[in-house]
Amino acid sequence: MRYMGFVKMVPNQGEPPQALIEAMDKHVQKNIADGVFVDGGGLYSETFRAEIRLRGGEVTTFDGPFAEGKEEVGGYSVLEFRNHDEAVEGARQMVELHRQYWPEWEGSVEVRRIAGPDEVGGQ
Amino acid sequence: MTTTAAAVTAAWRAESARLVAALVRLTGDVGMAEDLAQDALVAALEQWPRDGIPASPGGWLMTTARRRAIDIFRRNELARRHGSALADELERTRQEAVMGDGVTVDHVEDDVLRLIFLCCHPALSPESRAALTLRLVAGLSTAEIARGFMVGEATMAQRLTRAKRTLARERAELELPELADRIERLDDVLLVVYLIFNEGHTATSGGDWFRPDLCHEATRLARMVAAMLPGEPDAHALQALIELHAARLPARIDREGRPVLLHDQDRGRWDQLLTRRGLAALARAEELARSGRPVGSYYLQASIAAVHMRARKAEDTDWTRIARLYDVLAATAPGPVIEANRAVAHGRARSPEAGLSILDAIPPGALPDSPLIPAVRGDLLLRDGQRTEAAAAFNEAADRTTNDAERDLLHRRAAEALSAAE
Repeated sequence: MRYMGFVKMVPNQGEPPQALIEAMDKHVQKNIADGVFVDGGGLYSETFRAEIRLRGGEVTTFDGPFAEGKEEVGGYSVLEFRNHDEAVEGARQMVELHRQYWPEWEGSVEVRRIAGPDEVGGQ
Repeated sequence: MTTTAAAVTAAWRAESARLVAALVRLTGDVGMAEDLAQDALVAALEQWPRDGIPASPGGWLMTTARRRAIDIFRRNELARRHGSALADELERTRQEAVMGDGVTVDHVEDDVLRLIFLCCHPALSPESRAALTLRLVAGLSTAEIARGFMVGEATMAQRLTRAKRTLARERAELELPELADRIERLDDVLLVVYLIFNEGHTATSGGDWFRPDLCHEATRLARMVAAMLPGEPDAHALQALIELHAARLPARIDREGRPVLLHDQDRGRWDQLLTRRGLAALARAEELARSGRPVGSYYLQASIAAVHMRARKAEDTDWTRIARLYDVLAATAPGPVIEANRAVAHGRARSPEAGLSILDAIPPGALPDSPLIPAVRGDLLLRDGQRTEAAAAFNEAADRTTNDAERDLLHRRAAEALSAAE
């Protein structure tokens, strides 16, 4: 089953500590070695960001400044798991790493199953 | 929010290959390593629902299993020497656990690689190698493996026990094979992954046209091996081959669950992400090949798969290129399966007669239990306008398969050939 994971965080929490970056890197390397990790990366918050909106039948392009949300998506990953429990466990491990190396951090990791591509027979 | 048994099992599975691999290194005994890993799971199932999943599940499981190993060794007079080595190990693990980190990835990946080589040991039959790899490396249960290979659970359990006994008898060393030996042993490892994928991809019996779970396990294993041996072109080539074939799985059956042949597949349902990964793996193999590393049949097969993936419509397929690739493949890895596929390619690239003449050159009686040759013959005859003969060939192929979905497909093709003939 293919899942997309989103790392969502309360904005303006500063830069992550080096130890977390290293632990996350190790975590991703492990997922790659396990054949679980398919794709992923961090997302810029202000630069290189645009929204193309439709309102009242009119299309406009908006490229900032963006209103601050309660939580912002800071990164994503695409992973392949055998079942939902494995996906939840993967996400829990990501949050656990934050707890260990950046305990003040506030945010969440959300996992959602991707519909379609890997579903045999196109259910 | 409570920790369920399912969550514990998921956490255990994510660590199981590393756990077993490290335990095999410590105890030198595959059976004991597996038992210890299972005991650690049982302990986790008791404690984690109460205490929550520990910060480092891998570290916890390893510490628990090692502690148990030490108990066993201490009780065993003969293994006292081992016991003291284990005590040192345990102390180190405790320190690492305190630091909040299991074991370093590099060290652990080496263990897992050794475990894969051990599971694919030459003393074992190919079936046992596949079963043991799925058990110890992929962490599947005996019941899951039995389902994958369509055998009873007791039969599979017996096969696994025998395999472990054979390894113990052979005193199989958990060492990475050196140089020349290593190339040969790597071939064995790749072949096991290939066999697992093939069994999933062309389920040889049963009601399903293929078994996606087995395909997914093989894909995962292929990625593991390529990630652990980044300098081996064949490892990347096999990953490419498997990813590219896996990309087509969603289109291999229609919404009613009936098989769909490559030519008729809705290419919009091919998995784009797997296609991209497959092509990237093929490019890595190509790169390594350019630097002088030899490549084998997986590379050629992946290249053929890539030609199919690159054709937006079936009619756009570069059959001339595929025919050329099959010619090379036939020269390096001759055999009736390759010849049958070469016949298809030449039948498309040149003419049905060209394909039929390749097919006729295959020794009679080859692949007597496989529908492949008569099915290809039917296809080529149909393209040649010999509809009655084509129907007979399809029916002959249908008689040879033990796969229900495939039999239905072949009977359907026979009926279609005949109805068009009237």
